[in-house]
Amino acid sequence: MAQKSSTKKGKEPEYIRVKFDFPRRYRWSTGKYLGKLYAEAKENKKLVANRCPKCRGILIHPPTPVCPWCKVDTGWDWVELPQTGRIFQYTYQVYPLWDPHEGGKYSNPHPPAIILLDNGVYLRHRLEETDTKKLREGMRVQAVWEEDYEKRGQGLQDILYFRIIEE
Amino acid sequence: MPDRVAIVGIGQTYHRSRRDDVSLPEMVGEAVRAALADAQLSAKDIEFFIFSNMEAFEGIYLPEHGMIAEVGATGKPGLKVTGGGTTGAEAVGAGCHMISAGLYEITMVVSWQKHDCGDATAGISAAAVPTHAKGMVVGAVSEFAKQALSYMKESGAREEHAAMVRLKADRGACRNPYSHLKLGLKSVDEVLQSPYLVWPIRLYDFCPQSCGACALILASENRARRIHRKPVWIVDFEVVHQEMFRAGSFGDPTGTETYSQDIASERLYKRNGITNVRKEIDLAEIYEPSTWEEMSLYEHFHFCEKNEGWKLIERGATEIEGEFPVNCSGGVLATNPIGATPVIRIAEAALQIRGDAGEHQATRDVKTALATALGGPNWTAMFLLKRSL
Repeated sequence: MAQKSSTKKGKEPEYIRVKFDFPRRYRWSTGKYLGKLYAEAKENKKLVANRCPKCRGILIHPPTPVCPWCKVDTGWDWVELPQTGRIFQYTYQVYPLWDPHEGGKYSNPHPPAIILLDNGVYLRHRLEETDTKKLREGMRVQAVWEEDYEKRGQGLQDILYFRIIEE
Repeated sequence: MPDRVAIVGIGQTYHRSRRDDVSLPEMVGEAVRAALADAQLSAKDIEFFIFSNMEAFEGIYLPEHGMIAEVGATGKPGLKVTGGGTTGAEAVGAGCHMISAGLYEITMVVSWQKHDCGDATAGISAAAVPTHAKGMVVGAVSEFAKQALSYMKESGAREEHAAMVRLKADRGACRNPYSHLKLGLKSVDEVLQSPYLVWPIRLYDFCPQSCGACALILASENRARRIHRKPVWIVDFEVVHQEMFRAGSFGDPTGTETYSQDIASERLYKRNGITNVRKEIDLAEIYEPSTWEEMSLYEHFHFCEKNEGWKLIERGATEIEGEFPVNCSGGVLATNPIGATPVIRIAEAALQIRGDAGEHQATRDVKTALATALGGPNWTAMFLLKRSL
């Protein structure tokens, strides 16, 4: 923005609007470890994580070649995570955010949540139920996958959300 | 023995939502000129420059390259520091290291954010690593909403206490000529009427996006006493990072993580023989993106026992007139030019020690102050400042 005229007291300055485009194209590689998560999700609808050989800790999302706590190479030890768990904590968006990709207001209706999976691992994802009055902590939930093979390939986003299930 | 370092020049711009009247280098230049005037130095006296902002929030790379002339750094050595929300604190750390290593005697930290170029929340969600963070990051508000829920559940604090934190911040901000949001709020009810952004975070529970800059001039012990009659000594600092996502959210209750605040404060206090923080430190300027986080940080920085942060607020202990003032400036809740935010914490703590904070000067005498920074997923930087060595 360039100022056309000097600002007089109590008067808004006039601006010349300078137009410019910001085309951005990027190509990212998942690499070996994160690539395994992508492949298992797309091909088998499975959620996987790798494990530290020393502390035996499960390195939840993203999988990594080095354990952050023990600082040792993790090798190639994979576990399949359960797809059911309980709502540990959830919140919901009231005011829409700005989406820079589309240039408009954006609001994901699915409440962000921390899911406590059945093996004790915490996973950050979303809930299907958008009526927040029906939600409470501790509810049983199950992962809902994108069923279209062609649409899968988005890693953790191949799980659309978690659905409330009967106890 | 490493040389000791003092702050000898402090400069900041006023902070606003928009600064359409200036370019990025012009805005940064305002803070640099103010710092040079405070130190009564010229740009020629600065031996080394450290630049600092939150990458991508202005939507460009190497933003510092456009301001080399404006800040007087042409032909001088320097470096750029970027580390998320803690970035400005790390820049001050780098400025100290250059001096304590004996490489330079006078360094300048130049920090800024010009939010009117873009949008921080958009920057966080759009510039997130596409392969594993896309769709999982919805900006800072959602993370602090989870933190607020955990804090509420564990500590017994209510929304009224969060509102009291905003009232305290607003009282400080209204007295601070440089602060951004001066709301003139009168009551808890007024704060509780503000709408939710992400439940349970209300508009008034969260920090704004500000345009602004802050510059600090640091000098060796030898030079500091000759430059400024009131040098403020940076006696120690500590910086702790964790990897994104693995760290959990702020105050994440999942119990599987060690909080960087705990490690940073344990190390800093142990090295400096501090056992009772509120007795041995006189004032703090902390980086509190939300009202709830301020109460939680009181506990992690050992200002009080666990689950008692809200009681300090209720008692008014951390008001300007209180026994242990926190964020007399209005803090981050009132002013948040992200790259500059940690530098402002250190600058404001130093002004309090000098007795130069003006209208928002704490009632009690401030000889020792703590300044902190927070960023990324639970990163922490802590600075200990003193009037005399």
